[in-house]
Amino acid sequence: MHRHIPYSLFTVLVAVAGLLVTNTYHLQVLIFIGINTLLALGLNLLMGYAGQISLGHAAFYGLGAYTSGVLTAHWQLSPWLALPAALALAAAVAYVVGLPTLRLSGYYLGMGTLGFGMIVFILFREWASLTGGASGLVGIPPLSLGPLPLYEPRAYFYLVWAIVLAAMVLSRRLIDSRVGRALRAIHDSENAARAVGVNTHGYKLQIFVYSAVLAALAGFLYAHFISFISPESFGFMMSVKLVTMVVIGGMASIWGAVFGAALLTLLPEWLHAFADFEMIVYGLILITVMIFMPQGLTRGLIDAYARFKRQSAQPAPPVAP
Amino acid sequence: MPMHASSDNQPNPPPLLHLEQVSKAFGGVRALTEISFEVGFGRIQGLIGPNGAGKTTLFNLVSGALKPDAGDIHFDGKPIQGRPGHELVALGIARTFQNVELFGSMSVLENVLVGRHVRTRCGFWGALIRHAGVKREEREAREKALELLAFVGLADQADSPSQDLPFGWQRLLEIARALAAEPRVLLLDEPAAGLNRVESDHLGDLIDRIRDQGITILMVEHDMGLTMRVCDRIVVLDHGRLLAQGTPREIQRHPDVLAAYLGKSPTST
Repeated sequence: MHRHIPYSLFTVLVAVAGLLVTNTYHLQVLIFIGINTLLALGLNLLMGYAGQISLGHAAFYGLGAYTSGVLTAHWQLSPWLALPAALALAAAVAYVVGLPTLRLSGYYLGMGTLGFGMIVFILFREWASLTGGASGLVGIPPLSLGPLPLYEPRAYFYLVWAIVLAAMVLSRRLIDSRVGRALRAIHDSENAARAVGVNTHGYKLQIFVYSAVLAALAGFLYAHFISFISPESFGFMMSVKLVTMVVIGGMASIWGAVFGAALLTLLPEWLHAFADFEMIVYGLILITVMIFMPQGLTRGLIDAYARFKRQSAQPAPPVAP
Repeated sequence: MPMHASSDNQPNPPPLLHLEQVSKAFGGVRALTEISFEVGFGRIQGLIGPNGAGKTTLFNLVSGALKPDAGDIHFDGKPIQGRPGHELVALGIARTFQNVELFGSMSVLENVLVGRHVRTRCGFWGALIRHAGVKREEREAREKALELLAFVGLADQADSPSQDLPFGWQRLLEIARALAAEPRVLLLDEPAAGLNRVESDHLGDLIDRIRDQGITILMVEHDMGLTMRVCDRIVVLDHGRLLAQGTPREIQRHPDVLAAYLGKSPTST
């Protein structure tokens, strides 16, 4: 199936990158791209396919990070036991929050999820006995698998990207299924979706929970990689950054999540050179992408490639006399 | 008309859909007042009336988009009023919309595949694991969808973006999508609106063929030529009340109907 080719190529690319890149800093950046891809992927399914916005998605990222962080740093639980707890908590919270809020639509859903994100952020900051408060939570242990240490950047790189690839393939399957069609139907016309028998609220809830679990997984990987977390990483700005990744990368596109996450992770790194002007250049680049590729990077690059192919296929049209 | 001789010979087939004293108001406006009628198995029943008579409201009640304030709606002997619309589709009530509502981002085939939703089962985990049963179900759904596209005459458009279809074909696609749910009763909301003469003749044939498959039809329609041609019975609404019901021939002569449509008072006919 030709659909599988990009994924196979990408797997090879990741494997080769892990061998060739030796610089620890570069590996770190690639790890952060992977973590952000997981976040953008879940949000892209929710926004791009099902058409439901979440302006509080960093909360699930933080729930994953803090749950695993607190369980392992305070109570010395094994990270591999903390992981299912973190995912389950994020899923449960997403379900309870989604039950009322996903009945809202458009701006109202945006406001509802925004409020949720704020509440969770304040919990992280103020529940100091558990979370360490504003100064953060320290001493989160690194990951290891039996005798195999995963805290080495290269090993962690492979761990993160193996999970990202699995999440990409699973998400692709979800989108190409009856469930994915129902989600896209909700996006296109909620009225018509109901009229063909789609339980719209039920499906929105499912995809909301799925995206929350992916975000919590990203939070787990983040917390155990840098071993220190603070509320600022999971605040409103992070939620906005995630939405930006989805929109810049391209809505309703799994590759869009990769491109969006890569661009928004790399840009701040590259732009250090601009020092004081960093944020201005950052903003200008995002604006430029949106003006010239309003459908996002993925669609924009595909269109550019198609134009290039057309032009090279039809050399110089005859000039009318 | 000899065309529907078989059903005309049975004056009272058992009702598939039965409305009793159904009322609905929006704020102070009474959209429907104590409407009672039946739709027999295998009938093609028309629902007509001037604009604002309450036809679309009645459709929304039967399809579960709205809840009646009072009264009962029975489908195949079971009460259905107040149940959510998506459950009614699974029971066998499918509908189309007055202003065609397709899934614009999807291909023609995908639209019909979504229509198979209630007749397929693959859930969240099935989609992730994609076991043999899921693959088989997907294949069968595709075959069935292609059959339906052939049935409405859109077989060669399967891969076209649904948005690119001319309007008349979009209507046919919407009907194919509704049929994909294997309904027992099909609610058509002004299926001929926006169609030209040829297209609406074609639609009339299609409606006959749908009934021949054993599907009961309730349709709102302004095109009187089409309504009189295909319907076995007609219900007339006016200002939210049931004005008359009967065969097309009876309705055409009914003094109250003439008055409502032509503005004559019943006595002056």
